[in-house]
Amino acid sequence: MSTIFIHRFDVVQPSSLEEALKILAEEGESVTPMAGGTDVMILIRDGVIKVKKILDLWPLRSQLSYIKREDGYVKIGALTTVTELEKSWLVNDKRYAGFRDVIIGFATPYLRSLATVGGNIGTGHPLSDIGVLLLTLDAEVVLLSADGERIVPLKEFYLGKRKINRKPNELITEVRFKEAPGNSSTAFIKFDRRRGHSMGYVLVAAYLALKGNVIEDVKIAFDSIGRPYPERAVKTESFLKGKEFSLENIRKAYNEVLPTEMSRISDYRASAEYRLDLSKVLMKRALLRAKERIESR
Amino acid sequence: MAFDPSKSWDTYPDIEITLNVNGKNYKVKVKPYERLIDVLRYKLGFTGVKEGCGRGECGACVVLMDGELVPSCLVLAVRANGKKIITVEGLAPEGKLHAVQKAFLDTFAVQCGFCFPGFAIAIKHLLDKNPNPSEEEIKEALSGNLCRCGSYYRLIKAAKLASEYVRQGKIYFDVKR
Repeated sequence: MSTIFIHRFDVVQPSSLEEALKILAEEGESVTPMAGGTDVMILIRDGVIKVKKILDLWPLRSQLSYIKREDGYVKIGALTTVTELEKSWLVNDKRYAGFRDVIIGFATPYLRSLATVGGNIGTGHPLSDIGVLLLTLDAEVVLLSADGERIVPLKEFYLGKRKINRKPNELITEVRFKEAPGNSSTAFIKFDRRRGHSMGYVLVAAYLALKGNVIEDVKIAFDSIGRPYPERAVKTESFLKGKEFSLENIRKAYNEVLPTEMSRISDYRASAEYRLDLSKVLMKRALLRAKERIESR
Repeated sequence: MAFDPSKSWDTYPDIEITLNVNGKNYKVKVKPYERLIDVLRYKLGFTGVKEGCGRGECGACVVLMDGELVPSCLVLAVRANGKKIITVEGLAPEGKLHAVQKAFLDTFAVQCGFCFPGFAIAIKHLLDKNPNPSEEEIKEALSGNLCRCGSYYRLIKAAKLASEYVRQGKIYFDVKR
């Protein structure tokens, strides 16, 4: 009497990463890996997906929950929760201040203690705060299977809405990115009618590296450029690269270049025109915020 | 003979788990698909855990699991195996009131009361970490708890009063009748 799930399912809890990979190798597509469960549980409840067996990754947290610097990389374990991210050194590093923006607007306190970095990317939803920010840091996803390791750049990881570049026998174990130079910073903005508990109409993340007042490097990522997954606005980036950091140049970039590569959709939440307009304004704000952070040192 | 659905068509295995709820150990048999909230409410009788939306949006079902605030409607019961769980019933010992509960009574913060268990746990979680929160910090900590009566003003007042009690070292109060 005590459940509301229409589709019932089995759960398997591996005791080690090796065991989890073995289960995936043997049963493949019939098992659904679940990290925090803040997305999968709701999809099951809503009947969007029908699962036979869930591979509960929570017992692997002792192995896959970490944030460390190693060989010039920042490595984040796939099962690191947003709460752990919030307590880590990462958010206090001005180069990665974008993570602070992400965490402040990330769902609610109790979901942050379940939601994981790997899960946020692995659901393949376009409105994935961590994914959008990681795109600007040129992150790579480490996938592990019984056959070995595979490293996929995050920009090639998304294939469509809720479609990711993961084979059925693979597990996302780590997300990593190269340490950013000292003259750089990141910013992330999610726009919605309220600050907490929101998906956002438009998500934008910016990475900026300045040499004097010249834009040495810039990366701008949106929740969607035209396809239903997060992508970088490469044309806008290359327009801005090497130019002087001025409002005039940024205005030119978002008025003349951004609309040539971006096509937004209209839905019950916002119209395409509004989304494009928001994208322009938020892109400017994110760049200004990143610049402010670089200079605040 | 009474109809027993688990015998007739539910072929999923029973898994025995141990839950420590409010300081007491319970051994329960659960199905793999059962959520923590179902086990707490229907198998162990902790009906203080309320199901509002059932999808992690309203905060009525939050409990403390090993000191972490989690929505019990999104946690599978098997995942809580061996964990320490605190529900609203476990805030204070039998016959006593916790500072949070006393503050709620003193400020008349609750109207219909459905959201109260979630708010109480969320405020306790906040005060455990930070006994002197600012209004902004209170609002942030309670941002995931919804109150359909719209009693937010007094809920925040209650949280402030509770933090005062805790700072004065008054954690438990006697129940006045």
